[in-house]
Amino acid sequence: MKIRNWKNPIVWLVMLLMSGCVEPYFPEVLESPSSFLVVNGFLNANGRTSIQLLRSQSLNDTGAPPAEENATVIVEAEDGERYGLHATGYGTYMHPNLQLRSDRKYRLYIRTKSGSEYASDYVEVKSSPAIESVNWTADGEEVKFYVNSQDPNNKTHYYKWEFEETWQFRPALQSVLIYENGQVRFREQGDAPISVCWKSDNSTRIEIGSSVKLSEDKISDYKLLAIPYNSEKVSMKYSILVKQYALTREAFEYLEMLKKNTENIGTLFDPLPSQLTSNIRSLSNPEETVIGYMTATTMETKRIFVDSRDLPRDWRLYYPTCEIDTVLISSGQVQERFTGGYLIPVDEVYGNAPEPIGYTYGTRACVDCTTQGTNVKPAFWE
Amino acid sequence: MTHFYRAFLLALLCCTIMAVSVHAQQRSEAPLISGSFRSMTFLDFVQRLETRLPYKFYFEQAVADSLVVDLEVEGEPLNRVLAQILKGTDYKFAITEQRQVFITRQNPIMTSLPSNFFKDEEEARRNSQLATPAYLPQQQVNKKRIQSEIKLYEIGTPNGSKTGRANLAGTLRDANTGEPIIGAHIYIESPSIGTASDQYGYYSLSLPVGRHELNIRAVGLKNTKRQVILHSDGKLDIEVEEDIRSLKEVLVEAEKDRNVTGLQMGMERLDIRTIKQVPTAFGETDILRVVLTLPGVKSVGEGATGMNVRGGSTDQNLILLNDATIYNPSHLFGFFSAFNPDVIKSVELYKSAVPARYGGRLSSVLEVSSREGNKKQFSGAGGIGLLTSRLTLEGPIIKDKTSILVGGRSTYSDWLLKKIPNKSFSNSEASFYDVNTHISHEINEKNSLYLTGYLSKDRFKLAADTLYRFQNQNASLKWKHNFHNKLYSVVTGTYSHYGYDISNEENAANAAIMDFGISQMGMQVDFNYFPDSKHTLDFGASAIRYEVNPGSLVPNHEESLIKADKLQQEKAVESALYLSDRYDISQKLSVSAGLRYSFFTALGQRDVLQYAPGLPMSLNTIVDTVSYGSGKSIATYHGPEFRLSARYVLSDNSSVKVSFNRLRQYVHMLSNTATMAPTDTWKLSDSNIKPQVGDQVALGYYRNLRANTIEFSAEAYYKWMQDFLDYRSGANIIMNHHIETDVANAEGKAYGVELMLKKSTGKLNGWVSYTYSRTMVRLDDPTVSEVINRGEWYASNFDKPHDVTMISNYRFSQRFSTSLNFTYSTGRPITLPLGKYYDGGSHRILYSDRNQYRIPDYYRVDLALNIEGNHKMAKLAHSSWTVAVYNLTGRKNPYSVYFKSQNGQIKGYKMSIFGHPIPTITYNFKF
Repeated sequence: MKIRNWKNPIVWLVMLLMSGCVEPYFPEVLESPSSFLVVNGFLNANGRTSIQLLRSQSLNDTGAPPAEENATVIVEAEDGERYGLHATGYGTYMHPNLQLRSDRKYRLYIRTKSGSEYASDYVEVKSSPAIESVNWTADGEEVKFYVNSQDPNNKTHYYKWEFEETWQFRPALQSVLIYENGQVRFREQGDAPISVCWKSDNSTRIEIGSSVKLSEDKISDYKLLAIPYNSEKVSMKYSILVKQYALTREAFEYLEMLKKNTENIGTLFDPLPSQLTSNIRSLSNPEETVIGYMTATTMETKRIFVDSRDLPRDWRLYYPTCEIDTVLISSGQVQERFTGGYLIPVDEVYGNAPEPIGYTYGTRACVDCTTQGTNVKPAFWE
Repeated sequence: MTHFYRAFLLALLCCTIMAVSVHAQQRSEAPLISGSFRSMTFLDFVQRLETRLPYKFYFEQAVADSLVVDLEVEGEPLNRVLAQILKGTDYKFAITEQRQVFITRQNPIMTSLPSNFFKDEEEARRNSQLATPAYLPQQQVNKKRIQSEIKLYEIGTPNGSKTGRANLAGTLRDANTGEPIIGAHIYIESPSIGTASDQYGYYSLSLPVGRHELNIRAVGLKNTKRQVILHSDGKLDIEVEEDIRSLKEVLVEAEKDRNVTGLQMGMERLDIRTIKQVPTAFGETDILRVVLTLPGVKSVGEGATGMNVRGGSTDQNLILLNDATIYNPSHLFGFFSAFNPDVIKSVELYKSAVPARYGGRLSSVLEVSSREGNKKQFSGAGGIGLLTSRLTLEGPIIKDKTSILVGGRSTYSDWLLKKIPNKSFSNSEASFYDVNTHISHEINEKNSLYLTGYLSKDRFKLAADTLYRFQNQNASLKWKHNFHNKLYSVVTGTYSHYGYDISNEENAANAAIMDFGISQMGMQVDFNYFPDSKHTLDFGASAIRYEVNPGSLVPNHEESLIKADKLQQEKAVESALYLSDRYDISQKLSVSAGLRYSFFTALGQRDVLQYAPGLPMSLNTIVDTVSYGSGKSIATYHGPEFRLSARYVLSDNSSVKVSFNRLRQYVHMLSNTATMAPTDTWKLSDSNIKPQVGDQVALGYYRNLRANTIEFSAEAYYKWMQDFLDYRSGANIIMNHHIETDVANAEGKAYGVELMLKKSTGKLNGWVSYTYSRTMVRLDDPTVSEVINRGEWYASNFDKPHDVTMISNYRFSQRFSTSLNFTYSTGRPITLPLGKYYDGGSHRILYSDRNQYRIPDYYRVDLALNIEGNHKMAKLAHSSWTVAVYNLTGRKNPYSVYFKSQNGQIKGYKMSIFGHPIPTITYNFKF
């Protein structure tokens, strides 16, 4: 919080009243009594279906969630049609191209390595309309992204979105040199590029919307996310891929409750955390808790790009900075500096002679963008 | 200053009394005055008289300054001359037998004592009981303004009867403002007979015929007494003067030995003076915050609205402002109470043994009464605080008959929020105001009318997109009629409305306004009958008509795609008949037995969904829809409500009391938050929602120590609650066409022990209380809803077993006093995460069973310093400053602990509302 008119006593007073209300807190270790089966993913009615089976962990367990390997995972239709999924590692089971009929109901059947059987309820196959548009605006000090959608057939009503963000970035120092085999030389075409890279991120929040209270089955300007103006994401070029799914009313309610319980809390009027009832059940032990909610839907996607040049001129966009240092050739320490790759030469330093007398250099993190992202240009990048 | 003179003159008078008795025989005829006194000051006039005649004058300087004598007299006695001079002024004169002349304002000095004043007390009593009293005053005493403690009042007409009993009734009023005094104790000592004045200041006593000394004690008022000779039934109105020195005393109850001798248990009365001493977070006197310091009253947290009385939920309290129901008793998310401290007279809270007159809520009755307004002169009061300011004006419309009081309060928090250089604050708005009016009119001795009104409005907008507004509107009209000394009736008509709306304009396509409203119109007739000294009967009837608009949604932008939607209006009538008798079986044993029978009918026009019996109500178990025409009964509930209590006096200063009571509640608040939120809606019982029923037994032991200056009480209770509403997971409260599918009837039990030690007088006063209490809930019937925590009992949201509160006040001098308060309580139960899982995008929380953990314990210390202006009576305005620090130790008391999935990770947070010491300063004035 920046205080511009700090001399105003009222500001001080109000700050005193309002500040410091929320602080991090972790109660004494709470032990999870058992680890429950977690079922992630959805039945893609028209394409690749990927289901991940994990186990829940205790709260202070910092390791990766344990995966449920070697399970049998099958998509079953009410009339007995069956599609097996094959394991692809880390608890993930996949069907490369599932085609589900919208007039049938399907369920997910799981048998774990230990022989426990689980099955979801038979769920209706929903079909998502195409995404009408994904828009962005530079509003206030943020780039805000909105999604618009519409179902002329008036059948969707409940929507869910996920997105993948990808952005281009550069390191603080642009190196034209490379240290190789004890020598400093100029970078060439064949050398791996380290000055422009890409990073990706997936959405973490539950984004759901409904049109039941509207006169048309239409979602207008649902706000997906807002990126602050000084974020690295919008410093060069940014792209977002929005995925849209259709939900049943029950699935929407489940996700809405999950969102309330785990995201929209911390206000004066918090709803009470409530128990979530999954539509996946253990067939062996009806009392067993299973986490997840199985849905069957088609997926629609749309990608847009935001170039930093289109952002307001007066925004001071993110600009990486790093310390730069110099090593003189005459010091005889060039090899010593650059061996090991922690420090990387950036440019040559000239004295009066045509030959360089030394090199500027920075740490690898300041020079090599592959330390944070990938230098492989994504296929969709334009 | 007049007080000083009055005291001085009285002292002087006492000195001369001895002389009176001695020289009474030597009295001679009063000298006559003749002469021309033209355009001279009173002082000159007096000097001239004193030189010529054997009179000595005593008067205030103000008299000499303000009076001009302009008359000619020929052979007239002094009393006539003075009467002429003082005509048209409010000065009175008195001439003693020693020819001393006292000029006083308003009340003349009594220059003679009752003839038997110096007789032996015993003899006097014997006289009055055995024979026709020796002394018969000349003036009509009945119904005349009371003037002195030493005067003897003769009540009724002597009819030769020297034994038996007669009834004495009347009204107690404040001598300065003419307002009735509530809860004053009126008693005679031998035999010990006493009563307390009711909310109209009315008292009725049945006494043996004869001579008595009537003692009157009340909070903040001078102790006074009246000498009466009672011949037959009669009336005695008493005016009592304010005791300026007691301004700084903490007095919880008016009647000093009510603790022991009163029949009522589980009841607390707070006087506004007490309330004003307790420091609050924003420097504004807050009635509800003080009520929360009483044993057995809890809240979920500092920012929480609403209170939980003996394990009841927040909607189980009947909050009455001048008999009209208040649905939302707070402003600004509960940081301010809805009651303006300047217009409030007193607050009564019934936790158990609820009188039969009240009904409709399960846990408690909080009766807030506003002041009537000064009947004698115009005055005002106000205060300037950190966030709010208030002003109250009052005065007579017809002197001594009709008065009006208007009080208003507003906040400038909006302006403050704008000053904060943080976007989420400066885009926010928060403001409120409230207005109270009270008009009281005495038609004649037997009839009085009271008209009150209340209006409050709140609006707040958080982070710029959603605007919340809510309002209370209340009005009540009361007509009190005295049939005779032993019977009076009160007819009350009330109107209450609570409504809110939420509008959202952030996104044009979704822009809409949602509103909710509940209105009730009530009519109540109460009779109070005192047939004899052993019985007090209360009986009456009431009817309330409810109209609820459960919600409507309307687009408020031309591009909005929101479908207009309206939930069906709900209507119902709740009525009740009651009768209760307080019977004093003996000096030691009193019982009160009451029965209230309440009826509730939900009325059409409405379409009601019917669900398959034996299955939880859900969209899948709907079997039919039944349409009811306008005014047709949808569902009827009725049942008896027993109110029983008894008191047995163990000794002069200790007693035990026991009570049982049952209450029924037909309206329910729907909320799925732990606290009362501004968006909570109310729902009437109907064929799908049963009424709540609660039973409570309580047992108490009471003991007064050190001549009634220290009171000790211990109360234990056990309470059962049936069919109160709990919520199914993820219940949707707003705009739900089938709310019954989202709620479930739960059962509850609560029990506890409350200990309280209270010192109400002296330099150091206040109270210390300890409460142990538990509140448990169970949802175990799978045919009703999902089973929570495997159908086991679990702690409710406001189950805080241990609670220690200390409210103390120390008076250094007449002008300086300090208050130090301390509160400790066990942290409230919460549902904590047991584990986590990864859902493919983010780590998410896995919750434990409901309410299995607790947030850290709560404790807080507050300190306040009250500085009174000087005590000169004749100042333009009396002012006082209160400097206070709320949460002196700056402890970050957690309000909630929660876990959030942020950027894919789980983060735990502790939120505290007032995590720093909060200094406040308030300026109050009165004129």
